[in-house]
Amino acid sequence: MKNNDVKFTLPMLAEPRTLRVRFRKVGNLQYISHLDLQRTFSRVLVRAGLPLWYTKGFNPHIKMVFGMPLPVGSESECELLDIRIEREMSCEEVKARLNRELTDELAVLEVYPATEKFTAITFAEYEYTIVTTGANAALAAQIDEVLQGGGLTVTKKSKSGEKEVDLSAHILSTEVRFQEGLIFVCAKLSAAEGKYISPEALITALRAKTGILSGDPTKEHYRILRRRALLADGKTEFR
Amino acid sequence: MNEKISSILKTVEKPGRYSGGEYGAVIKDKKAIKARFAFCFPDTYEIGMSNLGMRILYGSLNSDPDIWCERVFAPWVDMQEKMRSYDVPLWAHESGDPVAEFDIVGFTLQYEMCYTTVLRVLELSRIPLLAAERGEEDPIIIGGGPCAYNPEPIADFFDCFSIGEGEDNLVEFTKLYIRMKEEGRYTRAAFLHEAAATIKGIYVPSLYDVTYHEDGTVAAITPKFEDVPKQVQKCIIEDMDRAFFPENVVMPYVEAVHDRIMLEVYRGCIRGCRFCQAGMIYRPVREKSHEVLNKQARCLYDNTGYEEISLTSLSISDYTELEPLTRELLEWTDPNMVSLSLPSLRVDSFSRELMERIASVRTSSLTFAPEAGTQRLRDVINKNVREEDLMRAVNVAFSGGKTNVKLYFMNGLPTETAEDIEGIATLAKNVVHEFYQNKERPKGRSPQVTISVSCFIPKPFTPFQWEAQDTMEMLREKQEYLGEKVTDRKVRYTHHDARVSHIEAVLARGNRRLGAALLLAAKEGFCFDAWDEFFDYDKWLSVFERSGIDPAFFANRQMGLDEVLPWDVIDCGVSKEFFKRERERAYAAATTPNCREKCSGCGANRLGGARTCCPGGGARNEK
Repeated sequence: MKNNDVKFTLPMLAEPRTLRVRFRKVGNLQYISHLDLQRTFSRVLVRAGLPLWYTKGFNPHIKMVFGMPLPVGSESECELLDIRIEREMSCEEVKARLNRELTDELAVLEVYPATEKFTAITFAEYEYTIVTTGANAALAAQIDEVLQGGGLTVTKKSKSGEKEVDLSAHILSTEVRFQEGLIFVCAKLSAAEGKYISPEALITALRAKTGILSGDPTKEHYRILRRRALLADGKTEFR
Repeated sequence: MNEKISSILKTVEKPGRYSGGEYGAVIKDKKAIKARFAFCFPDTYEIGMSNLGMRILYGSLNSDPDIWCERVFAPWVDMQEKMRSYDVPLWAHESGDPVAEFDIVGFTLQYEMCYTTVLRVLELSRIPLLAAERGEEDPIIIGGGPCAYNPEPIADFFDCFSIGEGEDNLVEFTKLYIRMKEEGRYTRAAFLHEAAATIKGIYVPSLYDVTYHEDGTVAAITPKFEDVPKQVQKCIIEDMDRAFFPENVVMPYVEAVHDRIMLEVYRGCIRGCRFCQAGMIYRPVREKSHEVLNKQARCLYDNTGYEEISLTSLSISDYTELEPLTRELLEWTDPNMVSLSLPSLRVDSFSRELMERIASVRTSSLTFAPEAGTQRLRDVINKNVREEDLMRAVNVAFSGGKTNVKLYFMNGLPTETAEDIEGIATLAKNVVHEFYQNKERPKGRSPQVTISVSCFIPKPFTPFQWEAQDTMEMLREKQEYLGEKVTDRKVRYTHHDARVSHIEAVLARGNRRLGAALLLAAKEGFCFDAWDEFFDYDKWLSVFERSGIDPAFFANRQMGLDEVLPWDVIDCGVSKEFFKRERERAYAAATTPNCREKCSGCGANRLGGARTCCPGGGARNEK
């Protein structure tokens, strides 16, 4: 049996330290909402026995800051979470302890001291895998044309109502491939604060323009995987 | 989970209910196990995952290397629609395999209104609804939980029931299944017969003939074979310290209704409220020792990271070791920022000290259950709570800074008069008055007293099991009358839907003839009747009418004391004679002391039990 009180014996840090946790969220876990993920992590951090820093005040709580939002139904290899500890514990130890409390579909890939702010994230790179009945090179070419052609719009829902968004203006680059009966799209989309665009928007636009993915979801389906968070140059990975 | 299901998940509400993949979920190698058990909670994932019993039985079955137990929940209506459109049968949560492929499918029956959902789950699984129509390849369907104590209304749909506490019982049952398969002598009939004859607590409805009198009452329930018990006695775990305890918990991602550590402190109840089924069927009282509880709580905290521990049992303040337990818990819960809550406080035990210790009371609201408005009626139901106890408790609360008090009552209790109903309004008004009299009350704030009134439902295995439920008209009149009597603006009045209570009474006290009505209900698409938005009273009445069932016969009829009751085939430990004595005392408005003050000879002590307060349990009582 483990006992998490070991954390109370570690040396105190002069200042609370912010650590950045990069984790994957794939497979079944793509269906877990952001709110549920927050609650899950608040418990994972506790049962991992990390020396967490608690806010001072009437209702002490731990500090967690997540990077970009990820819509339900999309997978990711680059989810970011900042946590704060108040006693000495190595990044490797934090990673090992977290992974003992997680499953493969929600595994921690890396833990490191956070230096850059999340506001430096400007783009995100996504890989789309599309399974559709009429998939062939011609359809792939058609999809490519639609994406390159510009003028794509999507309706974005927000608290203040619905508004039309120019999707093309949010696409940095796209690449379409047809391989072994599947269509792959690699896309770099805006992810900066205030300009973030959901990766689902691209599917919605393709569905409207080409008619794909509008039939029986058990025969036609797609997977979205977020691969990397990128800086303003659209190339360098955000860390 | 297969790709077909996974792609449907992108099109439904709250897909996290179905996706699985939770930390702590048990995955086994299909080739290395001998039996697959699908444990079904016939309601949504969020409700099922809040159920402590399901967590215990899941752990207990999976602790056996030959058995793989998976969970099954009722998919919400939008998912059911997709399953029909895309031809997907219901699957088990862990493997994604169809439920119909399992060896045994178990249903936990926590409330009567889930029956139609049970049938929907069978239908979505493509398992024949009627036990008589199942073939050798179909799973064995077993039911358990509190509603299994009167299994007769749903007897047609179940191959068998496990009566009582299932931790050891279900494993033994599944082991027999494995053994008979291995020995090559398994047939459905042979297995069910042998289970009924050799395993305690197993009731197989098809092995009994039920005959009826002309007036529709039961004449006799007779076993078809000599080796099948005439009465099936429930099974219990004698020593709660040694009961299976799930150290590893499945952590739901989607928020469960009760999303916290539930620490079961003891089973049973010493109180003996005469309307309360739980207080009777879980007897004898068996406590866990505080040392064991503290260890288990610590272990659960380390394995879950929950920020709240709820001490659960029917009346937590009756636990004899509450003081040492809370003291030991607080030693480590405080530094770890974990809060404690005690959900079932009695007014006569509520003290300032307890309130300060317990976090649930950090909220501005407190809940008590006087159940009835006058002392006379509280004596009739043996609630053993006096108005001065309530006033003392609310004063403690007000002095401690609380302003909101919620009070639970019941309408339609036996012998209830207009005076008793008015008493509810008076009691609430007195609580408001008490607030203003209290010099330590929170200054500048006004009190809010909420009275929540449910309808009395006579339940099997209670001293009130024979009583007639008030008719709908009477219940509604009473609800209206109370509404007129509540004049204080600081008192808020809410009441249950009498129509639901009426149907619940029919299902609670029904016999096998109700099977026809439930089958018709299933065919007409009934499901989720425990949910207000799906409950349709008129449709229920129509279904009863077309199946030749008079609901009043089950709900509103005073049953005869000598009548054979549909549930007489079950022995819950407490004797019928005790219920009769208690009923007489009720009509004399005489209270019965609690089990610790004086044994009233209910009979449950013959089942044994360690750390109990029963006489005769003494030999096993050593700590």
